[in-house]
Amino acid sequence: MNEDIRSTQAAMERCGYIAEPAIATAVYLAKEMQKPLLVEGEAGVGKTEIAKVLARMLATELVRLQCYEGLDANTALYEWNYQRQLLRLKIAEREAREPEKLEQLIFGREYLLERPLLRAITRREGPAVLLIDEIDRADEGFEAFLLEVLSDFQITIPELGTIRAEHIPLVVLTSNRSREIGDALRRRCLYLYVEHPGFEKELRILHSKVPGVNEQLARTITRFVQRLRARDLRKRPGVAETLDWTQALVHLHSDALDAETVHATLGCLLKDEHDIRATAKESVAELLVYATAPE
Amino acid sequence: MSENSGLSPGAHGIVAQLAKFAGALRAAGVRVGLTDEFDAAAALTLVDLLDRAEVHRALRIAFKLPRDAWEIFDRLFEEYWDGRRAPQHPALQREPRGPAQWRWDGERVHLAAPDEAPESAGERYSPEAVLRRKPFDQFSESELAAMEKLLARLALKLATLRSRRLVPAVSRGIVDLRRSFRRALASDGDFLKLARRSRPLDETRFVVLYDTSGSMDAYTRVLLAFAFALRRVMKRVEIFAFNTRLVRVTRMIAPAGIPQSLIRLSAGVPDWSGGTRIGGCLAEFVALYKQTLIDRNTTIICVSDGLDHGDSVQLAGAMRELRARARRIIWLNPLPGDPRYRPEAAGMRAALPFVDHFRPAHNLESLQGLLRLVA
Repeated sequence: MNEDIRSTQAAMERCGYIAEPAIATAVYLAKEMQKPLLVEGEAGVGKTEIAKVLARMLATELVRLQCYEGLDANTALYEWNYQRQLLRLKIAEREAREPEKLEQLIFGREYLLERPLLRAITRREGPAVLLIDEIDRADEGFEAFLLEVLSDFQITIPELGTIRAEHIPLVVLTSNRSREIGDALRRRCLYLYVEHPGFEKELRILHSKVPGVNEQLARTITRFVQRLRARDLRKRPGVAETLDWTQALVHLHSDALDAETVHATLGCLLKDEHDIRATAKESVAELLVYATAPE
Repeated sequence: MSENSGLSPGAHGIVAQLAKFAGALRAAGVRVGLTDEFDAAAALTLVDLLDRAEVHRALRIAFKLPRDAWEIFDRLFEEYWDGRRAPQHPALQREPRGPAQWRWDGERVHLAAPDEAPESAGERYSPEAVLRRKPFDQFSESELAAMEKLLARLALKLATLRSRRLVPAVSRGIVDLRRSFRRALASDGDFLKLARRSRPLDETRFVVLYDTSGSMDAYTRVLLAFAFALRRVMKRVEIFAFNTRLVRVTRMIAPAGIPQSLIRLSAGVPDWSGGTRIGGCLAEFVALYKQTLIDRNTTIICVSDGLDHGDSVQLAGAMRELRARARRIIWLNPLPGDPRYRPEAAGMRAALPFVDHFRPAHNLESLQGLLRLVA
């Protein structure tokens, strides 16, 4: 393995992210090739976390743009502070100012509200990490707009002129695949598909995130969840759910898993009524036998 | 971990190898563009070329391959990056193998590879349909061509019907300050009327699931023509073909026309005119595409005769999932054109409870009936 990738992996791990080689490779390539990284995968596999860890790793600011249906350029880029501009104009009516001066004043930088994209490219101290979260929730039109920003890293504000990036930010886009991301955007990025972690990885994550958990319980929990994921579920539990569950069990001072505890806490793992009903008593018993069996 | 990656020494060799590999991916139906090749080449300069696993990871990242393309990628990677050149790969041979053709045997239309006897692509485990002599299967070649034009018109009508339903909201919605300011310029800075924004209606999406098994042969051309026509006039149509496997054919449809598309399809869809495994294919569709392609604005059109010897429990499960997510499911069946028909095939019975509209699709009239539903 390339030394730089190995050190990327180690650095991510120091920041609390257990990265598989594929993830480390993707992060390293994105950094070196200065390309945005599009991360897809089921909910709860730790997509957003990649960006957070990256920011921690590079000791820089994480600028987050949470996408939602109806998100538009104004909310993502910049907006003039209209209320403040209006107030300023009212005040100016009493002073006899030259119109040009006034115009320059109210279209100055201090009347500009920086939204995430503008913020990410104007950070002076060094490249920021720009997280564009759940891009699949935004409309397709927004994607096209994003494409433009991500290729030029400059934003034109008619009243101010063109603002170029001080530093090209490191961009991470995540998608839950609730719709397909357009080809043009996909092409502009590097692509990483994150799967649910395997047993060893999940166990390590568990130990690093919930320090109080004992080895035996952690192994049982991990085996249980891994097995549960293999079942036919509507919403398979992610790592986040495993961590929640473990925390719940630690709070309940359970040192070992039994059917009763599992039933009482199943809501930490399964967030779908159908799934909970489908994982009835027999299934839990079966999962438990598997999870607690000596390896 | 390090093992020989099978690359010829020197950058030129790598680039050539990469180009061949990308070509093979394309031939196998994975969309890889030139920019992806550039990215892949750039990525290869950054990784340890002697570490085969790392080359594999880097290429998958740089080619931007979605999850459903991994299988093909892995297979081709095996062949191309361990030193074994693979010109004999079937994916590369498909194109020159010569087009499959529609054949008329005096009774019905067949799709057959030219070197194959028309009858050899028979039903593998779909039972021989008793109800074959439907209007569609009595069409001659020229009638089929005329039919395709009609279908194109029908599809266009469908598309415009839908767009008329978009009503722009004028006086409702949230205030749009940016536009309001601009408007105020016209009246010397006074806000006479506030500009507003509201969300337009969402477009309807279509997903067409197409049975290309042997028992559907006679209807395939006409019904596919309809699906293609839809695709040409609407932005958001996805078309899948299924028989014993599920294949996304949306992008195999050539803009040139139906005959070319059919040639590409018959090359790209394995087991064309073979048996059916509806349940398995729908389950696969649910697993791979439910998230991305099906939402509350999606109308699913399933075209199949429901003649399936697969697992009907699996079929019901898949249909239930689709029903929960989609706006509606329309099942088009070429068999109900026959008055003797009762939906008694096991597959059909399993699917029916989850179908919103069960329609015949044996002639043009029945397809026109569809218009009222989708509009």
